[in-house]
Amino acid sequence: MAHVFNFPDVGEGIHEGRVVEWLVAEGETVAEDQPLLKVETDKAVVELPSPNAGTVLVLHVPADSAIEVGDALVTIGEAGEALPESESKKDSPRLVEVPAVAVAEVTPVAPVSGQRRRLATPRTRALARKLRVDLEAIQGSGAGGRITDEDVQRAAEAPATPVAPGSTAVPVGIAEVTANGEVERVPVSHLRKTIAGAMRASKQISAHVTHVEEADVTDLFEHYRTVKASVEASGGRFTLLPFFIKALVTVLKDYPIFNASVDEERGEILLKKYYNIGIAVDTPEGLIVPVIKDADRKDMVELAAEIVDLAGRARERKLMLDELRGGSCTITNIGPLGGVFATPIINQPELAIVGLHKIQDRPVVVDGEIVIRKMMYMSISFDHRWIDGAEGARFMTDLVNLVAKPGLLMARL
Amino acid sequence: MVVGSVSRGCQVVVIGAGPGGYVAALRLAQLGKDVILVDKGPRLGGVCLNVGCIPSKALIHAADLAYEVRHGEQMGLSVDGLRVDLPKMVAWKDGIVDRLTGGVEFLCSKNGVEVVYGSARFLTDRSLEVAGKDGMLEVQFESAVIATGSSAMQLPNLPFDGERVIGSTEALSLQEVPERLVVVGAGYIGLELGTVYAKLGSEVTVVEFLPEILPGLDRDAAKTLQRRLKKLKIKLLLNHRAVSHDDGEDPALVAIGPDDQEIRIPADLVMMSVGRVPRTADLGLEAVGVATDDKGFITVNDRQQTSVPGIYAVGDVAGGMLLAHKAYQEAKVAAEVIAGEPAAFDNVAIPAVVYTDPEVAWTGLTENEAVEQGYEVVTGTFNFKASGRAMSLEATDGFVKAIADAGTQQLLGVVAVGRGVSEFIGEATLALEMGAFLEDVALTIHPHPSMSEAFQEAVEAALGKAVHQVNK
Repeated sequence: MAHVFNFPDVGEGIHEGRVVEWLVAEGETVAEDQPLLKVETDKAVVELPSPNAGTVLVLHVPADSAIEVGDALVTIGEAGEALPESESKKDSPRLVEVPAVAVAEVTPVAPVSGQRRRLATPRTRALARKLRVDLEAIQGSGAGGRITDEDVQRAAEAPATPVAPGSTAVPVGIAEVTANGEVERVPVSHLRKTIAGAMRASKQISAHVTHVEEADVTDLFEHYRTVKASVEASGGRFTLLPFFIKALVTVLKDYPIFNASVDEERGEILLKKYYNIGIAVDTPEGLIVPVIKDADRKDMVELAAEIVDLAGRARERKLMLDELRGGSCTITNIGPLGGVFATPIINQPELAIVGLHKIQDRPVVVDGEIVIRKMMYMSISFDHRWIDGAEGARFMTDLVNLVAKPGLLMARL
Repeated sequence: MVVGSVSRGCQVVVIGAGPGGYVAALRLAQLGKDVILVDKGPRLGGVCLNVGCIPSKALIHAADLAYEVRHGEQMGLSVDGLRVDLPKMVAWKDGIVDRLTGGVEFLCSKNGVEVVYGSARFLTDRSLEVAGKDGMLEVQFESAVIATGSSAMQLPNLPFDGERVIGSTEALSLQEVPERLVVVGAGYIGLELGTVYAKLGSEVTVVEFLPEILPGLDRDAAKTLQRRLKKLKIKLLLNHRAVSHDDGEDPALVAIGPDDQEIRIPADLVMMSVGRVPRTADLGLEAVGVATDDKGFITVNDRQQTSVPGIYAVGDVAGGMLLAHKAYQEAKVAAEVIAGEPAAFDNVAIPAVVYTDPEVAWTGLTENEAVEQGYEVVTGTFNFKASGRAMSLEATDGFVKAIADAGTQQLLGVVAVGRGVSEFIGEATLALEMGAFLEDVALTIHPHPSMSEAFQEAVEAALGKAVHQVNK
């Protein structure tokens, strides 16, 4: 009996992806759980294992093609088995993307279900009206295609809303994209689109303001150097970042609004009692932010190991979705790449992001004398709608104070 | 109010104080609007409270009680000399109406809704005049909500005379039980009131032009109801066209049967219930250009907006299902749209209930509608004959049928026939609005023993998992 394996709902609102490559070919015998293909989703590249053993009868979609949840990917059965009519390759719905004329020749088997209402609760429908989201135009992530409040919110924040017929495709004031010379057209990856949408949405939603403070990390650096050797002697890598994570968590406990989200609909601030710190990771394909869960309950050695692991797997795009969500505050460690300081964009729905900038030997005045100290700038971008500038200044004063005095930091752990 | 013409301004004027009008007025007032509610009077509440839903339900309950008492022998109840005092019953019913209409007046005054009694007529798209008994009032408004409702349709050859040929309004205030009552029209009003008088002792004949009762109703439901009507000794003449009333020595309704033969049905009283028409006459709609459909109902969009900007219509006058609860919802939508909120009437299902014996209720798609819409339909039925609760009520007629999409298992509709099914059709409607799948209902604990269990059982039957009956 042949089984059609569809692109499964992997959760977290992921409903489309791209087939990166097939790891099997038609006619090949596969074992249960053998990886069949690699799929790139918004957030990660995943290998999809075979649900059962058998022979690959049909690959329904070629490599590099876009797929949606529910699309047929592969039919697995016994060698030589006859395929049911509807499972033959030509009927694959994604492949019938032909000009309208040709579509007209296709006789639908069942009446078109297009007029059927999308599955959404009255509350979700009201939300859609409020946010001017057309339910017919979006894909539900819930059971049976049910549209959730989150789907509606996401659609409302999405940058590329379909343009209504008759309206101009180019918003007034935005220059049209033209090619005035030789260009190379490169498709935008899913990850890039996701980043683009998230960044634009964050800038639109939040009232960003960035506060920059200077930290003297001479003592911290010295402290780190003495510890590093003995930690690494027992394997693994040890870096400065865990100190900053610990300092951040400590200050977050004193200023809970920086470890919060706001439910505007309910008019409630969610002060999070957990400290899940996102770490911005630069990967060849773009920015990925894995989350260190419960950073307050892990020691620095554990944090260092986890950062190495998460960053490594982020670069290989092998993170689980669970490792990319649930953050409460984020750190971006841009310093090693250069620059004086930057103004990072808040990772929604968080309220703040802390930037760690370049550590440099600089002459500074200490007790009336010019001395050389290890200095760095630290920035915080926060949502000025919910957090006042004075609060941001106090937060940073405390944070650099902890960073400057490792003894004090240890006293607070 | 002084005699002569007085002019007033307000933000919103609402015409008609039935379920559509008073709810619109109250919600508008809650949203901070300055509202004038115009009604012909004498009491607020429209047909629903005065001569519709509420008074009919009072009489239905009283008649049910009389009938049950008379038929309680097997339960060990024998009653001699039960006397039906119809004037007293009607007075009791009037008391309920008074309490409810008074309640609407109270709510209007507490919410700051100004009530003006009189007949409204549009002068322009921003003004109307109200002819009250004390003179004329001109009202300027920014928005208007038309909620004038509907009234009983009259056949030209069988006009109401208020005595021998009456409508449902009069039938709710009779002073004696007619010996022979002929009801013209087997819609919900005719069947409900026909049943009332049959239970109070009338010999009732229902004459229906169409070949079926309650057109569009699930056929199994119609069959069950018809069987019960027969048990109640209500004579049903389908395919019979009422043509005239003979008001002579032997009063009778004259009807023409399926074979074109003319028959005389002796009738001490004829109640006409052949449908309802929108109340739009004398509103001056043409003057402002409010569009109506071929039956005279005002055409509206899902925001209850008519063809004239600023003028809205809700309830019966806006067509669709002529039901008070539909009017409530439309009224809230209109009020919120006027207040600038993003409201729309986008409900999945509007439940309907016929308070016959047994009650018939449905919501969502019927089996036929689901098939017409291209669904591959799966149904599950639970019969009240197997229900302990129904047995204990001595009310085993009826069933609940769940209609679902075989592919996705999504619940599409529910039909229920039985004692008190009106009380849980709201639950089924909630399931539809929430987009429930069969399993959602099957996994929801229903109280035992109750009639509502049948809904869960019907859904389990559709899943092939019924426990209290043999699965097909």
